[in-house]
Amino acid sequence: MMGKRLLSMLMASVALAAAGVTAEAKTVLHVMHQGDPGWVSTYGEVAKRFEAANPDVDVELIYAPHDAYNEKFSAAVMSKQLPDVMELDAPFLANYVWSGYLQPIKPLIDQDVLDDMTASNIAQGTYPIDKDLYAIGLTDSSVVLYGNRKYLEAIGARIPKSVDDAWTQEEFEGYLEKLAKVDGVKWPIDTFRGYGIKTEWITYAYGPILQSAGCDLIDRTTWKSTGTLDSDACVKALTMMQTWVKNGWVVPQSSGTNQFFAEGHPAALALGGHWFYAEAAASMKDDIVVMPLPKFGPKGASPNGTWIWGITTASEHPDIAGKFVSFMLKDKLYRDYATADSGYPGLKSFAAASPLYDTGGPLAVAFEQASKTAVARPPHPAYPVITSTFMQAVDEIFNGGDAKTALSAAAAKIDEDIEENDGYPPFDEQQ
Amino acid sequence: MTLQQSAEPAVAARPAWRRDKSRLFQEMGMLAPAVALLTIFLIVPFLLSFWTAMTNQPLVPRPTPVRFVGFGNFLRILKDDLFWTSLWNVSRFTFWILPVQCGLAFATALLLHQKMPFQNLFRGLFFLPAITSMVVVCVIWGTLFQYPTGPFNQVIGFLSGGTIEPIDWLGDPNWAMFSIVLLSAWQAYGFQMIVYLAGLQSIPDELYDAARIDGANALQRFWHVTMPGLRPTHVFVLVITTIQAFKLYTQVAILTQGGPKSSTETVVHYMVRSGFEEQKLGYASAVSVILFLIVLVIALLQRQLLRRFDV
Repeated sequence: MMGKRLLSMLMASVALAAAGVTAEAKTVLHVMHQGDPGWVSTYGEVAKRFEAANPDVDVELIYAPHDAYNEKFSAAVMSKQLPDVMELDAPFLANYVWSGYLQPIKPLIDQDVLDDMTASNIAQGTYPIDKDLYAIGLTDSSVVLYGNRKYLEAIGARIPKSVDDAWTQEEFEGYLEKLAKVDGVKWPIDTFRGYGIKTEWITYAYGPILQSAGCDLIDRTTWKSTGTLDSDACVKALTMMQTWVKNGWVVPQSSGTNQFFAEGHPAALALGGHWFYAEAAASMKDDIVVMPLPKFGPKGASPNGTWIWGITTASEHPDIAGKFVSFMLKDKLYRDYATADSGYPGLKSFAAASPLYDTGGPLAVAFEQASKTAVARPPHPAYPVITSTFMQAVDEIFNGGDAKTALSAAAAKIDEDIEENDGYPPFDEQQ
Repeated sequence: MTLQQSAEPAVAARPAWRRDKSRLFQEMGMLAPAVALLTIFLIVPFLLSFWTAMTNQPLVPRPTPVRFVGFGNFLRILKDDLFWTSLWNVSRFTFWILPVQCGLAFATALLLHQKMPFQNLFRGLFFLPAITSMVVVCVIWGTLFQYPTGPFNQVIGFLSGGTIEPIDWLGDPNWAMFSIVLLSAWQAYGFQMIVYLAGLQSIPDELYDAARIDGANALQRFWHVTMPGLRPTHVFVLVITTIQAFKLYTQVAILTQGGPKSSTETVVHYMVRSGFEEQKLGYASAVSVILFLIVLVIALLQRQLLRRFDV
């Protein structure tokens, strides 16, 4: 009698629990992202549309501010609260994959989206060890040389039409010198020192100048920085930039980031990101000229990479996470917002729908760079140290420090970190 | 009387150890919450940071094993020029902020100690910067410091009739730390001002009256009554201002990120940079241990000073 009652009670509780499960059957998908307010609300709307299309899924967005994103991510890792889907800055991908936080996404993403990726987009999401794809984005990025037509005409500068006839170093420095004397020009160029000295911008935008000059932040086969970052080519390139600053040619750090299009147009050129176009063009109208980055050696180089989407190893529903990413990348309104933000295409179908980057469009040169000169930042797990140390060295040099000393110190610090991590296996065997 | 006499033996009848023991339990019980919290949130993390400083612990778990490296981190820190630069910068900052901030606080305290209408209103107004978030102050001063057309430079240009070139307050390695001193002093002097006001109020009026009767003028009264009366206050203010100065971080993180040319790199900023950006938690812990030792030595030295002044 007693046993039977116990049994029936047990049965009832199991049934109750089962009912509870069906009520709670909604899968919760955690998505971690950054972005300015416009993007944040765009993600919110994408999530709502995804939920409408998949009523059994609840998307929970976790916002982390851009400047503190890596810190927030570290906190999530330590408290074992990794999201399912996360946005990440492309150069940090190698660090995340090596640490075991991301999983290959090819099996999870719709094939038509994968086929749609540009070469540069594939490059930014690929982990060099297994050559597998770990992240994907709708967009990519680049940096071009903006010019003020009036000033360029005043000095009779040649305006390059494509990446192949970019200015050489001699031309470029000659123009800077001439521009310095033009009426109304306070500074010949803005290299956006105003973004600060502890910003990815430095490694992102100035790194390609080193690569064009024939060196790099780190040797990409031996993964050793000494002998590369402190080589003569790099010392020469950064001494060259130091000279621009010394000559008063560069907008100082404390003068903000709008001197190119501010009233009176005090800066004649701007070494600026593609995202700078919309704002500058609105103020400059027809006076804005978009040119490829100058060549500082035999070959040109340009930055690439942006914030892209990966799926973490902690995800309990990688298939749904993949479905969400595919859904977002194809979402029409998401793309419309990216277009309005002068988003740089990372998917071919998005490029076709972006008049800015299409042949004849004002930023066509920027898109041309992606296939001809784009160089990704070093895909190595030591990247956090590489970029932090390089920023430090650039600040030192721009303020009059000796380039050789600063770069040797930086290279030594990078190598020290790699050694301390046993060469970040298997990167040490990759040569 | 009789009541007391009869009560005493009753208490004495209980053995002394038992009485003490029950009191001991009571005291322990009252201490326990505070001790537990201090242990969990102060002592254990502190000991842990000593331990972490001896390893190559990364910020987030990595596939490579965490190793014991002994004093390796400490040696590397002491060999790093940037660390010494940051220590030098903090010392420079302290050297400047002490006279500027404490002087400002002292001067305003003297001013506000006078009997005047709306005394409390003025005290509140002068205390306002101290209750404003440092982050907000930094953002506002960042605009004021703008080069070459920020308000400060415009005022200087106007007053000098354009003869003084605009100053790149935060972008010139020679000026950056001084600019940070200015804004830090302005933001934080309110606290020292309150301490000074309290000190001034603790000087008995009789002393002033006596000095006045003796024929002392205002300057003499200040020098021979106010200053000696404030000696303990001075020492206290110096101690806390020094310790705060050594922890300089927020202003630098927001305005200069340690630049230009490492001229505003501070020990705490150096620690955050190595711990969070470069993800070297062990190394950063070692920096924190060194900073702790430095602050400890300074605090002990200043305690000796306090003793000499009989406080």
